[in-house]
Amino acid sequence: MNTMGKFVLERLLQLFLVVFFVATITFFLVRISPGDPATIMLKANNVPVSDESIDALRSELGLTNSVGGQYIEWIKQIFSGNWGTSFVSQKPVINELIARLPATLELAIAGLAIMLAITLFLGISSVIYQNRTLDKIGRVLALLGSAIPTFWLGFLSIYVCSVTLGWLPSMGRENWKNVILPASTLGLGLGAIHARVLRANLLDMLQQPFVKASKARGISKNRIFVFQLLKHALLPIVTMTGTSFAFMLGGSIIVETIFSWPGLGQYVIESINMRDYPVIQGYVIFASLLFLVIHMLVDGISILIDPRLNAE
Amino acid sequence: MKKSYKHLINWFCMALCIIALVGCSTNKDGQSNSENKDTSAKTATLAFPWSPSGLDPHSGDSWEIMRSGTAETLIKLNEDLTPGPWLAKSWKQVNDTTWLFQLQENVTFHNGKALDAAAVMNSLQRAIDKNQGTKNLLKIRAMEVVSENELKIETTEINAALISNLANPGTIIVDVESLDNEVSYPAFTGAYAIKEFNLDESLIVKQYEGYWGEKTKLDEVTIKFIPDGITRLMALQSGDVDGATDISVDNIEVLEKGDRFDVLTAKSLRTHMVMYNMESPLFKQLAVRKAVDALIPRQEIVDSVMKGKGTSAVGPFSPVVPFGQVNKEQEELSIEQLMQQDGWRKNTDAMWEKDGTVFEATFLTFPQRPELTVMAEVIQSKLLEQGMKVNIRQVENIDDALVNEEWDLAMYSMLTAHTGSPYFFLEIFYKSNSSSNMNHFASQKVDSMINELHQITDTEKSTELAIQIQEEIEKAVPHSYVVYPDTVFAVNKELEGFKALPIEYYYNNANINRTY
Repeated sequence: MNTMGKFVLERLLQLFLVVFFVATITFFLVRISPGDPATIMLKANNVPVSDESIDALRSELGLTNSVGGQYIEWIKQIFSGNWGTSFVSQKPVINELIARLPATLELAIAGLAIMLAITLFLGISSVIYQNRTLDKIGRVLALLGSAIPTFWLGFLSIYVCSVTLGWLPSMGRENWKNVILPASTLGLGLGAIHARVLRANLLDMLQQPFVKASKARGISKNRIFVFQLLKHALLPIVTMTGTSFAFMLGGSIIVETIFSWPGLGQYVIESINMRDYPVIQGYVIFASLLFLVIHMLVDGISILIDPRLNAE
Repeated sequence: MKKSYKHLINWFCMALCIIALVGCSTNKDGQSNSENKDTSAKTATLAFPWSPSGLDPHSGDSWEIMRSGTAETLIKLNEDLTPGPWLAKSWKQVNDTTWLFQLQENVTFHNGKALDAAAVMNSLQRAIDKNQGTKNLLKIRAMEVVSENELKIETTEINAALISNLANPGTIIVDVESLDNEVSYPAFTGAYAIKEFNLDESLIVKQYEGYWGEKTKLDEVTIKFIPDGITRLMALQSGDVDGATDISVDNIEVLEKGDRFDVLTAKSLRTHMVMYNMESPLFKQLAVRKAVDALIPRQEIVDSVMKGKGTSAVGPFSPVVPFGQVNKEQEELSIEQLMQQDGWRKNTDAMWEKDGTVFEATFLTFPQRPELTVMAEVIQSKLLEQGMKVNIRQVENIDDALVNEEWDLAMYSMLTAHTGSPYFFLEIFYKSNSSSNMNHFASQKVDSMINELHQITDTEKSTELAIQIQEEIEKAVPHSYVVYPDTVFAVNKELEGFKALPIEYYYNNANINRTY
């Protein structure tokens, strides 16, 4: 087996173990957290419910079995490819997650695009205009991006762009305009922070001997910047972008709730409130898989950018 | 290098500006682009906080379906919560356990099928098979189709609340066969039919041309699901929606400032209350419960916390319903006399003390209704003024904490009369053996009175007994009823016919209209 084959096999084994471990921990954690799913579901409208109704629903949901028994049953299901059935909707968990994935994917891609645009624009321009106005603006934006809470930025953007100026829809997912505010809320802060990392890397690279050597060899400034400086400086940005994308794909819970965006984030919050155990467990498996797969991809891309990593 | 990249950056800035301008452009009427709809059709958009997980009327989503105006039940509750005809034109009690229902004629489901007794029977059978709660409410032993428009229902025992309970959304009448069709939406009988359902996002309903009653004034209504209260408010302010329910009292002032919105309020069927743990050493004795009850500044809470949008509570049921009109007797003894009755004495710090222990109680609240925590703080400060120390603790799940944790006082809130009958709440909340009786109130007399209430089908007698039961309960002060909060709605002034009602089932109705 070649090195790449070994690498993939090792990573797949790691992926399986991590997902299994995380899923098991989640299984027991949700069950020791306060709140009985049957009672919460029946009292969802704040009406009194009879003991008979609660007992019948608990039995129907399989909550009368011991936790150990429920765990064994769940493991059997998972290994047969069944992610369980949502307590609330009575539909397969996997279908429920897939139904909400396009909305989350749309928001994540738009958020990532805004984040990358800001990262590249601010990062590069702050090097070109080092210590001048654009660089200073970038510095302030990075500070604001890391200091402003997402929920505040979300509400502020709705207030300014929807309520006051009437430019953009405040919520929902009717057309492409609906994605602008939530995606900007997701991408602005991260983009400003990543831009500072890119700036620091670029400035560091400028001092490297290979840049001086390239200049001495008469290679054009543009070629040096794009094929040497940027290529090296982007390496940490790729890792950070991968993590951010996985975070956005997992469903940006706060942003989706504020903008009533019908994605995974809003759904998982509702499921946690309703103690919909199968959905919570399914979501955790899904999110763990997503993180791990994206990290594998990031590792692969990093190797492509810097082949020295392959040897390591 | 600087010169080489200046162009690139300039182009980038320009591209961003163009994208922003295209995205943010407004149309000639100054409306946002999301409002570009067919202007020939009369439409409205409403914002509700709840989002159904599906459209099965006999699942946990029945309330949301009912609120959309697409579905109907046999019985409709009037504004004073008395039962009135809907899909059932009339009904009569044949004997203690048998009822005969005469159905409306010329009713069709949204798929064109005629509604008859057999279809109603199938729908009710499915409702009780699928939902234990509905089964308990109706207590149906058997159903029989007497004729095309007559249905006989026999109950397992005397069920005085059967008629009111047939207004419960869990009993929505649906063409059962339509639920098996995965391509189309369920066929109900309401004035609106489902046009489009977007999971977690919106439900679009359109006028049902074949409706048996008064036709809707609007061609189409879009119901958007916006769980967050602030987003709901801003969606209304921005014009993305024309009306919104469950507006926080803190936001009323903002909406009333301009002349764009009407803020509508209705007495709700909810009661905010303080629960006493009758097994806690502090509140075992009636005198202490009476003292705390007398100290609760109900009117101050209505004025300051509820901003006037509520009524001081005197019993478990809102005065909207006939059985909610109870009289609360003024406590004759002073706080000092009551506390001393139970052996409490003021110490040198002016705090109440008994057998060397200072009065210190744990007061539970929960975050889902933030106003309850503020009320708890007001009560805490009043009690401290009188020498009683109270520690407020917020718990995530109040029902769980009331069963599994140590507590003395707890804020609680419940819809107490949503069925239009007093029986269900009294049975669940005050019967000694009920698990929902979480503060351990026990009275054999009250138990037998509640059993008796279950047997009475005469409304006047039942109301009279329900009031007597509440008076009997009040003698023990197991709870202090604090406020009956109002429900607050806000609508764009262009929208008329949106009526705030105590009952939450009929928000979207045929009378809503848009005035251009």
